[in-house]
This record gives sequence, C-alpha cells and structure tokens, in this order.
Amino acid sequence: MTPAEIALLAAWCAALSLFALAGGLLLSGIDRKLAAHMQARIGPPIRQPFIDTVKLLQKDTVVPANAIPWLFNAAPVVALVSSVLVLFYIPVGSTMPVLGAYGDLVLVMYLLTVPALALVAGGFASGSPYATVGAQREMVTMIAYEFPLAIVVIGVAWRLGAAGISHPFALQSIAANPVWSVTGPLGLAGVFILLVVLAAITPAELSRIPFDTQEAETELAGGLLVEYSGRNLAMFSLAQAAKTLVLAAIIVAVFFPWTLSSFLAMPPVVALAADLLFFLLKAVLVLFFAVTLVRVAMARFRINELVSFYWVYLSVIGLAGLLLLMADVIAGPLAGVGI
Amino acid sequence: MSGESKKAPYRVPIGPNHPALKEPVMFTFELEGEVVRDVDFAPGQAHRGIEWMGMRRNPVQIVHLTDRICGICGVVHSLSFSLAVEQIAGIEVPERADYIRTIVHEFERIQSHLLWAGVAAHELGFDSLLHLTWRVREEAMDVIENLTGNRVNYGIVQVGGVRRDIVPEQHAIIEKCLATYEGLLDTLLSFFLDDRTIRMRCRDVGVLSRKDALELCTVGPTARASGVNVDLRQDYPYAAYGDLDVKAVLPDRYLGETHGDVYDRIVVRLLEVGQSCQIIRQCLSEMPAGPITAEEKLVKLLATCKKATGEGIGRVEAPRGECLHYVRMEGKDSPASWKVKASSYSNLMSWIPMLRGSQIADIPIIVASIDPCLSCTDRVAIVRDSRRSILSKDDLHRLSVEKTRRLQG
Amino acid sequence: MRALPLVPELVRQLFRRPATNRFPAKYLPPSIRAFLRDVQAGRAAVNPPVPTPPRFRGKIAYDRDSCIGCTLCVKVCPAHAIEFIPDIKKIRVWVDQCIFCSQCTSICPKSCLSMTDAFLLAGEDRYAEDLIVE
Ligand code: SF4
Ligand code: SF4
Repeated sequence: MTPAEIALLAAWCAALSLFALAGGLLLSGIDRKLAAHMQARIGPPIRQPFIDTVKLLQKDTVVPANAIPWLFNAAPVVALVSSVLVLFYIPVGSTMPVLGAYGDLVLVMYLLTVPALALVAGGFASGSPYATVGAQREMVTMIAYEFPLAIVVIGVAWRLGAAGISHPFALQSIAANPVWSVTGPLGLAGVFILLVVLAAITPAELSRIPFDTQEAETELAGGLLVEYSGRNLAMFSLAQAAKTLVLAAIIVAVFFPWTLSSFLAMPPVVALAADLLFFLLKAVLVLFFAVTLVRVAMARFRINELVSFYWVYLSVIGLAGLLLLMADVIAGPLAGVGI
Repeated sequence: MSGESKKAPYRVPIGPNHPALKEPVMFTFELEGEVVRDVDFAPGQAHRGIEWMGMRRNPVQIVHLTDRICGICGVVHSLSFSLAVEQIAGIEVPERADYIRTIVHEFERIQSHLLWAGVAAHELGFDSLLHLTWRVREEAMDVIENLTGNRVNYGIVQVGGVRRDIVPEQHAIIEKCLATYEGLLDTLLSFFLDDRTIRMRCRDVGVLSRKDALELCTVGPTARASGVNVDLRQDYPYAAYGDLDVKAVLPDRYLGETHGDVYDRIVVRLLEVGQSCQIIRQCLSEMPAGPITAEEKLVKLLATCKKATGEGIGRVEAPRGECLHYVRMEGKDSPASWKVKASSYSNLMSWIPMLRGSQIADIPIIVASIDPCLSCTDRVAIVRDSRRSILSKDDLHRLSVEKTRRLQG
Repeated sequence: MRALPLVPELVRQLFRRPATNRFPAKYLPPSIRAFLRDVQAGRAAVNPPVPTPPRFRGKIAYDRDSCIGCTLCVKVCPAHAIEFIPDIKKIRVWVDQCIFCSQCTSICPKSCLSMTDAFLLAGEDRYAEDLIVE
C-alpha cells in the first residue's frame, strides 16, 4: 500500500468510527422512543443518549477500593475499540467494508465476542459480588448463544457456496448476492428461519430484556456495570451503542443487503447519502422487531431458562432451517431451475 | 471473587437500598452459584417514631398522623385507630359512615393491588405491564381524590365517622370507575396469567406451603395464596362488612389448585380487585341515609375522647393483610399507649422459607410477592451509644413482659 | 399471540397518543429557571396540569379579619402548622408543615379558614413568603 492509500484508509476508518458512535446513539434513542410509545409514555427525546454520554464524560470516574485498577480501566477501552472495529468489516449502505479484504463473517463473529469478554473482565475486576454474578452470567450467555449463531453463519455461507458463489464467507459476496435470490421456496423458508434465529440472538448480544440477566437492574442493580461510573461508564455505553449499530448492520448485510442506488440511477454523492439513509431505515426496522418489540413484550428470563432457550429451542429451530436449506440444494435441480 | 470455586458459598448483601427493594430492608444472602442457600434479613431501617409523635397529640390529630404510617394504605391505619378509640370512648358510628368507610377502604384495596401488580411486573423486568397497570390505577386514584380531596393520605376517617359524605353526583363517577375496572379485569388477568414469560418466572417460585403459612401466622393475600382461608372482612367483620357478603379469595376457586407460589399471589390480588368492585357496588346500592358522624362538633368529640379511659383494639383487613392498632387512654388529651402492627409485620418471616433454595433471579419477585411495606412495619429501632444492637428472642420476651406489666399498672 | 397477550396492545399503543400528561412541558427543559423565566416573559407556555376535582384540599386560605383568635384550629392541627400570635390574637399558618388534612377548616367557628385549589407549592425555601399564610 502506498502512504496515500493508508491515509485514505485511516480517514475512512475515522469517519466510520464516528458514524458507529453517532449512529449507535441515534439508534438507541429511537429504540427508547419507540419503547416509550408502546408503553403509552412520551419517553425521552431521541437525542437523550447523546446528552447522557456528554454528561457521563463530565463526571468523576470512581475506581472501587477492591477492584483491580488496570483491568478495571482497560476493559471499557477494549470494549469500545473492539465494538467500533467490527464495523470496519461490515458493509454500510453502498460502501463496502473498508477492511473487507482482511476479514470475513467468521472474523466478525469472533470480534463480536471481544466486547462481551471485556465486560466480563471488567465485571470480575470490579470486586463487587453483583458484578461477579453478572460476569458469570455473561459468560454463560455467550456460550449459550454461540451455537445458534454459528448455525446461522454457516447456514447462510454454505448455501451461498452451494449456489456457486466464491468466497461465501466474505461479507462483500454475501451483500452482493442476497441469500434470498439464490434459493428455492424451501430455502426461502430456511433463510427466514435463520433470520428469526439471528434476530433472537440480538437481544442477548446487546444484553436487553428478556436476555439481560448479566445486567438485570432489579436483580443485580446493573450487574457487570454496577461499579462503573463517569468516563468508563460512558465508554461502555458508547460501546453498547456501537454494538447496536453493528448487529443491525450484520443482519442488514446478511439478509437485507439491497441498496437504493442499485435500483435507481443517481449521482454518486447522492447515492452515498441515500444508501446511508436507507441503511439506517433498515437498521431501525430490524432493531424494532429484534430488540424494541421484544424487550417491551416480555419478562426477563432466568439464566437457566436462557440457556435452555438457546441450546434447545433456538438450536433446534436453527438446525431445522439448516435442513431446509440442504433440502433446497438437493431439491433445486429436481424442481427445475425455473425459480 | 471469581478465584474461588463456583461451589463455595459466598455472601451477597442486598439492601437496605437496592433497585429491587422499594423500601429499606437489609438482606444477607448465602449463595452457591445462582442458588440461595440461606438468607437472613434485618428490618428496622426506617423507624420514624410516629407513636412518639402520637403520645403528644390528641386522637383527633392522631387520626391524620396514622394516615402517614403508610403511603398506600391511607385509610387502613386511620380506620383501625378510630375503631380502637371508638371502642374505648363507646362511640356508636352511624351506619352511613360505615358504608362510606367501606367504599373508600375498597377503593384503596383496588389501587394498592394494582400498584403491587405493577411493581411485581417491574421486578420481573416487564416494564410495559408496570406502565399499563399504573395507568389504569390512576382511575381509582382520581375517584379517591374526588371522594376525599386528597390523592394519598386521604384524611377522610375521623373518630366517630367520616368527614365527607358521598353525594349523589359522585355515584356516577364511582359507577364509571367500577365499570372500567370490571371491563378491564379479564384483560388484566390475561395479561398477567396467560403470559408465558410471567408464568415461567412465577409458577412454583417462592412457594409457601399451607403449613408454613399457618405456622408463621401470615396474613392477607400472602396467606390466602397458600390456601389459608383468612380474611378479617369475613372472619371478624367491621365497618359495613357484616351486612355484606364477603368471601376470602382463594386461588383454587379460580384455578382449581393451590400452589402457594408467586403466581397464586398474583391471582389472589387481581381477583380481589374484582371483588372490591362488587363490594363497592353493593355498598352504593344499600347505603342507608343518615348522619355521617356520631359527633358533628369536633370540640365535643375532643371532650369525649379526653374523658375516655380503657383500652381498645382496632383490626382491619388491609390490602396486605390484618392491620392492628392498640390504644390505651387514661383520661388525658393524648393516649397513654398506642401500638401499631402493620400487616407486613406478620408476613416478613415467610420470606425465609420462600427464598431458601430459590435462584438469585427470583429474589426480587419473591421479596415483592408479599407486598412488603417496611416503613409501616418498622415500629422500633434500638440505638445504644449511637450503635445499633440486635435483641435476642429472650431480650424481646423480657421487654414485652415488662411493658405489659407497666400497662397493667 | 396467545403466549404473549400484551403484544397487540403494545403495537396499538404505538400509534396512539401517549397517556403522559405533558405538564409543565413535553421534555425536561435544560434549565428549569430559564424555562420559568421564559414562561413569565411569555416566550414559552406551560402545558396545564390535570385539573383538580371539586373540594380539593390545596393550600390553605385565611380570612384574617373574621378570625376571633379562639385557637381551636391550633388544637386540632396534627402537624403543628398553625401558630397563634397572642399579641394580635391572630394565627399564622406555615404551609410547608401543613399536611392538607383540612381539620382546621372543619373546626373553625367563624369559617375563616378554607382550602384552595393551589397545589404547586414546591420550592427551595420553606419560609418563602407564599408558604406563610397570615
Ligand atoms: S389543613 Fe391540617 S395540617 Fe394544614 S393547617 Fe389545617 S389542620 Fe393543620
Ligand atoms: S379556629 Fe378560626 S377563628 Fe379560631 S383562631 Fe383558628 S382561624 Fe381564628
């Protein structure tokens, strides 16, 4: 790479980081607003997460006496950096992932665990029983949703591979070839099931009700985050916001990758903006169904219920989706390529 | 910390301030993984010395003080205090006053049970249901405000009767509110009882067996949910309940079985909302005309109370269970002794069998399931040399014997 | 939706007007004082609170001229909110202590005490001028 290329890449990354934070906060604001309206409340203004972040940044950062300071302070930084980093590997609107050449969906899945691991480390380092319980629960939750998540990733990529698409794990090729377009009717059902499974994993990834056992306000008073304050807490909440955007972006990229500019001809600058807006719209819709609606409509699960939900129910559902996809590949030539 | 193996029990304090606790109490949990091995709790974090204030006031004033014992049961305490004083002074309460007392009392039960249902939903992380129940609760609050002039701390009961009549225009308002609740009850029952996540979190959680419920002397919905057929309104009628047909609400009458768990406590409380509507309706149609107080002139009432000597006990079925006031008057302005036993006092001990063996996640809902009202319960705090001390059973026994001797003179 | 009976209600709610009363403003203003100043200057408007019912027990009103100084109100006030001023044989009500029981208004032989609709009494100074009625 020439220095100019590196500079361009760095500029892109900086812009994307900003977008990750601002977009994430915006999505959180919209989430809160929609949830409030469903509960017949007015709710805070959409800009509230920005106000909160600014306020948190001005506050004192307290490190508890029996915490492990370096780990306690490092955890939020790691969480924030890794959450933002994931976005570099995911297409946003019509812009292809900036670091797409260096990683694929599998890497994204691994990167997604880093913020959670940082939370766990921070929780254990807090030296508070609440945080410890929260950290244990976070680990259990991660292990619980990892398997259904793997089913989704493998299912989609395998189907694309079976359809003869090269690099099926690369997000560029996933985004360029929507899975829906390569499957027959059986496969459509399979893909839909995988979409549901991925949507069901989202609240756990974002520690939202009903899968927010690790923070569980009424049980653990914030669990993992109970000892965090000020700048550290702000970083965690920014990480959370970025992660919200990232997860929406993954679902959009894998299942709803269409862009406006591919349908309508428009000048490049307009296309960039239009696609970005279209992307945000899709993200809001995805998050509404995967997070907002779910979190207002249910009670919190117990950790053992959460585990059985993911290990048993969701895994079975996911495997059923996978089977449908396989059946689709087998039935594809038999049913004729007319679809 | 995490270094220890997961099996070693560790201690987690919850309280006196914790988001799951709406009122101060200090729990110490001994946990093994996510399971509660043992639990201890220390109430007495919110003693306010209301009886001490009462010792310096006359009964007419104390009635309004009793309103402040609990922010939710505004009428229960003033009613049982008045019952006790009326007993001592031999005041005959007019019938109409008894009916009005009953109506306000039942409205209070409606709003208290709805409030509880919302809190319970919140403890489960189900905030939408919290907002919904509290929104419909407003309706009862509005009626109470219309009847008494205050939203909370109604100040409607006075020794000898009530302070405000229910005029014909208010009947329509009450009817409208009752119709709303009766129309809503099935929906509410379905929101709470048909919901899979609530069922999952509440069924067979925090079980209190009938035997434990009896042995621990639990009262109110907590006891009824375990199948104990107690309700002062049925067993020991006061106010207008003697004329009315009140049967204790038991879960097996609705579901055909009694588990004694949190779910049953939801069932009992929600059904009692419907029962209260019926009682109010019956009161409205059967309310006799007549005066609303035995003594119109407060000055005369003060004089009567001042002359009174003797002791009296007022018992009332509060939304949380039996509430008891003991009053002793010795011909002075202020009572010689006044003791309050709020309903939660009888229910607190049931936490121990409910919580043992439960999961951390269930602690909030189990604690909330008896609808604890700790500020009302905390009637004593012992501080020596600015430090708290814990009294043993023997100490308490000795102290109460001493006090009884003192009261006997 | 049998398993989650609340969902239809939630979705319906999304398209209805929220139940929250917008008093005094839809969102918390960045500065309450600035907001109140604006209201006074006519630059901003206050959304009205929920109306009070008839015979509401609000801030006490005192008709000083007809008071005969009998001190009956002082005797029944549970909160010791009423102070008797022997020199002029009149009373003074400390509204910050008043618990709005309306006992004084019931006992006053001259009916010179009454309860108004005013309930916006929160303030930072317990002894503010409008919290002392005399
Ligand atoms: S309303 Fe009650 S508390 Fe207020 S001044 Fe009158 S008697 Fe005292
Ligand atoms: S009771 Fe009425 S007349 Fe008597 S002192 Fe009080 S305000 Fe004056």
